[in-house]
Amino acid sequence: MNAAQPGLPAATAPRASLWRTALYKLRRDRAGLLGLAVVVLYLVAAVGAWCGWWAGDWALITGTKWGPVSAQHWFGTNIIGQDIFQRAIYSTGTAFQVGLVVAVLAVGMGAVIGAVGGFFAATWIDEIVLWLMGVLDAIPFYLMVAAIAFALADNPYAMHVAMVSTFWTTTGRLVRGEVIKLRGLEFVEAARAIGVPPVAIIFRHILPNTFHILLVQLTLCFVDAIKAEVVLSFLGLGVKDGMSWGLMISESTLEFLAGHFNNLIVASALLFGLVFAFNMLADALQDALDPKQVA
Amino acid sequence: MVVVRAAVLALLLVLAGCADPAGPAPREAADLDGNASIKTFRYSLDQAPSSLDPVQAANVYANHVVLNAYDTLFAYKYLARPYQLKPNLADGWPEISPDLLVYRIRIKHGVRFQDDPAFAGGKGRELVAADFVYSLKRQFDPKNRPQGAWLWQGRIAGLDDWKAAGSDYDREVPGLRALDRYTIEIRLLRPFPQLLDTLALGFSAVVPREAAEHYGRELGTHPVGSGPFRVVSYDSSRVVFARNTAFRQEPVDLQAEGYDPATQRYTGVERIQGRSPPFVDRLVIDFASDDASRWNSFIKGNEIQVTGVPAEKVDEFLESYDPVQLKPDYARRYQVASGLEAGFVFETFNMDFPEFGYNPDPERERRNKALRCAIIKTFDWEARNQSWYFGLGTVFPGIIVPVVPEFDPQLSRTSVTRDVAGARRLLRENGWTAENLPVLVYGQSAGVKPRMFFEQFRAQLMDIGWPQEKVVLKQYATFGDLGRAWKESRLPIVSKGWGLDYPDAENTLQLFYGPNGSPGSNDANYRNPEYDRLYEKAAVMLPSPERRALYRRMNQMIIDDCVAITGLSRKRIYLWHKNVVALPDREIVGGFFLRYVDVLPEGESARPADLEPAG
Repeated sequence: MNAAQPGLPAATAPRASLWRTALYKLRRDRAGLLGLAVVVLYLVAAVGAWCGWWAGDWALITGTKWGPVSAQHWFGTNIIGQDIFQRAIYSTGTAFQVGLVVAVLAVGMGAVIGAVGGFFAATWIDEIVLWLMGVLDAIPFYLMVAAIAFALADNPYAMHVAMVSTFWTTTGRLVRGEVIKLRGLEFVEAARAIGVPPVAIIFRHILPNTFHILLVQLTLCFVDAIKAEVVLSFLGLGVKDGMSWGLMISESTLEFLAGHFNNLIVASALLFGLVFAFNMLADALQDALDPKQVA
Repeated sequence: MVVVRAAVLALLLVLAGCADPAGPAPREAADLDGNASIKTFRYSLDQAPSSLDPVQAANVYANHVVLNAYDTLFAYKYLARPYQLKPNLADGWPEISPDLLVYRIRIKHGVRFQDDPAFAGGKGRELVAADFVYSLKRQFDPKNRPQGAWLWQGRIAGLDDWKAAGSDYDREVPGLRALDRYTIEIRLLRPFPQLLDTLALGFSAVVPREAAEHYGRELGTHPVGSGPFRVVSYDSSRVVFARNTAFRQEPVDLQAEGYDPATQRYTGVERIQGRSPPFVDRLVIDFASDDASRWNSFIKGNEIQVTGVPAEKVDEFLESYDPVQLKPDYARRYQVASGLEAGFVFETFNMDFPEFGYNPDPERERRNKALRCAIIKTFDWEARNQSWYFGLGTVFPGIIVPVVPEFDPQLSRTSVTRDVAGARRLLRENGWTAENLPVLVYGQSAGVKPRMFFEQFRAQLMDIGWPQEKVVLKQYATFGDLGRAWKESRLPIVSKGWGLDYPDAENTLQLFYGPNGSPGSNDANYRNPEYDRLYEKAAVMLPSPERRALYRRMNQMIIDDCVAITGLSRKRIYLWHKNVVALPDREIVGGFFLRYVDVLPEGESARPADLEPAG
């Protein structure tokens, strides 16, 4: 009998999956875990604000003009006596709402369009996809948002539409490239050979193999959406009826001259914390899910 | 090494070429392009006018430009307080018939329009009586989208018919004629004591027909007038004027302008006695809606030279509120003046909205009144005063503002005193609940301050149980867009400020006169036959105790019918650089003062030496 040659992997040896390996690596990434913990903390704050467990009085006047930091008002009050802490926490909900909606839709859209373009690479379908992505990328983001906000008038989701319609292209390009690579592999060839229709091949066999890209893109897109929301709200193009860190920062322009900075400091600090944590998490995920490193 | 030396030498030569051997010219002695020996005065406004066409000079911002580019028959004296009219383009006071129905106004000879390609040969011609007639007719020509016709509507014989017949400028109007080259005749349908005041407004500024026909709609960006300045450039951020070198020579007579040495000598205006305005070569007005930007530009020292003191800076700058006095350190650097605005801020319900105003169902209309009264009771004027005006404003009931003689200081203050319990009771007694309260759309222009006004208003409504989601903000990109929404009666509640066009309570009472409904000045679309009857009766009366009594009765009607949440007059505090010779004032005269401004070299003070603060 032939013995197995030492140094060669045994055909029957258990092989760790990409996901399991990634999870293993993520667990050992302290910065990533810290980022995750902070994001979860923000998420809890956001869920509480959505459910009305806290920050429900963000719109009420509960104090005096520019009230100081106190047990009742942890971050003081603004120019009309509203509690800055409640407004900041409520804004966390807004940030997550915008981040989640935009990230899921933009990444989903990018995945589908990118996969279709990649699968049909070098055909007229791919040409159209590339042209569309090129055109959208060529329009400056804030001009695009202003145009869409104007076109949709008072629609509270104008900002979401604008972001989704521009953010998907990055994911689209990445997925397209990945799909071009995947479509030449044996499992796709095999599916084709047994007559699986293209739509099923794309959605059942190819797209699941791009999830590691999509997951990282979700986190990056989430962060981009939050940052864009703050900027747009500051400019008056974002949140129409509600509260956001961008609106708080814009509100603070009324207070600088009088030497009050609570709105600015609180909103900026919370924004910084969330973006920083998400970036750490995104970095960790990228490292963990990178097939080359996993291999 | 040689190459390096050569490069350094070349660099030094280039730098030397860039440097001005005389050093930087003082800002007031240089124009925007840096040309020395040009005397420039830089002013600022918190909004930009949407048009410079006199027919659309509906706000103080447009008037600031229009009144300096064009001429009006009358004007307000520069220094007299209370405000007093004086002839401007008019050559003296008019002849008025004993029945007060016919006015004959002579205009000055030799007044010329500025040179412009609109004129034959590009040379401005003499301004004549027919130009005024043409200009007033423009207010009644719908093609011009005029906003000031309400002032003369139903008052000048034949003018309304002229409009109804198609606004043919070649057709004569019996009540508005040029008798000869220099005489205007106005025939009224009924006495109009404020007629001469209306002829000081930008709405009545004199436009040459050639320019209006040459530029059409473009006249709104390309003024062609006979005023002390001509517009060099204009956009949404700034208007730049140059001195109109052809402006008539009229030496200043301070006594005639109402100069009071006891209170005004500190301004240094004695320096302009006997000189003909304008005194600066360039007038630049920056439009900056952000208080902080204007303030920083002023403090910087070489940009805008006059500003209002932002509420946020009041404590830092003022030694005392009443009288307004600067802290010593600032008093050495700046001049200050203050006064209550000739106007007010207020909110009106649009009575054409069946959810809040008139309703075919009498029972609902009765409940609507209770709803409006409850909103008025919950409105917190003191909070608004503290939040936005540092408590310096004057809160008063009704629509007769404190600066006019008809103001009644004894009027009950119930309508401006917050009563949340009373408001809740009123709602309860009239069957209003959180479920059946209507959605209230609150319109504002874009910007953080208007947004915070809304938040304050909404929070106050929430105090009486109004659901948060039923108070909705509708923001418009510009103040002009918001104004159009008011005029087109698209908002159930109108939040605005009103500056008096003339110092007479009639000017605020007309805001609720039925025939002035949208698109007129009655944004509330209030229609009360008794109110209208009293208004019409008072409108033809000269100032008298009887007229005052009528005014006050009308004022009480507005309060009793809960049509408006009113009101507050703001205190204006003007601060200007001490080398500027001026008494700034944006009330009523709205920009007339700019022709009298002079600028001294940097470092000099307009204030007489004996009035300089010690130290």
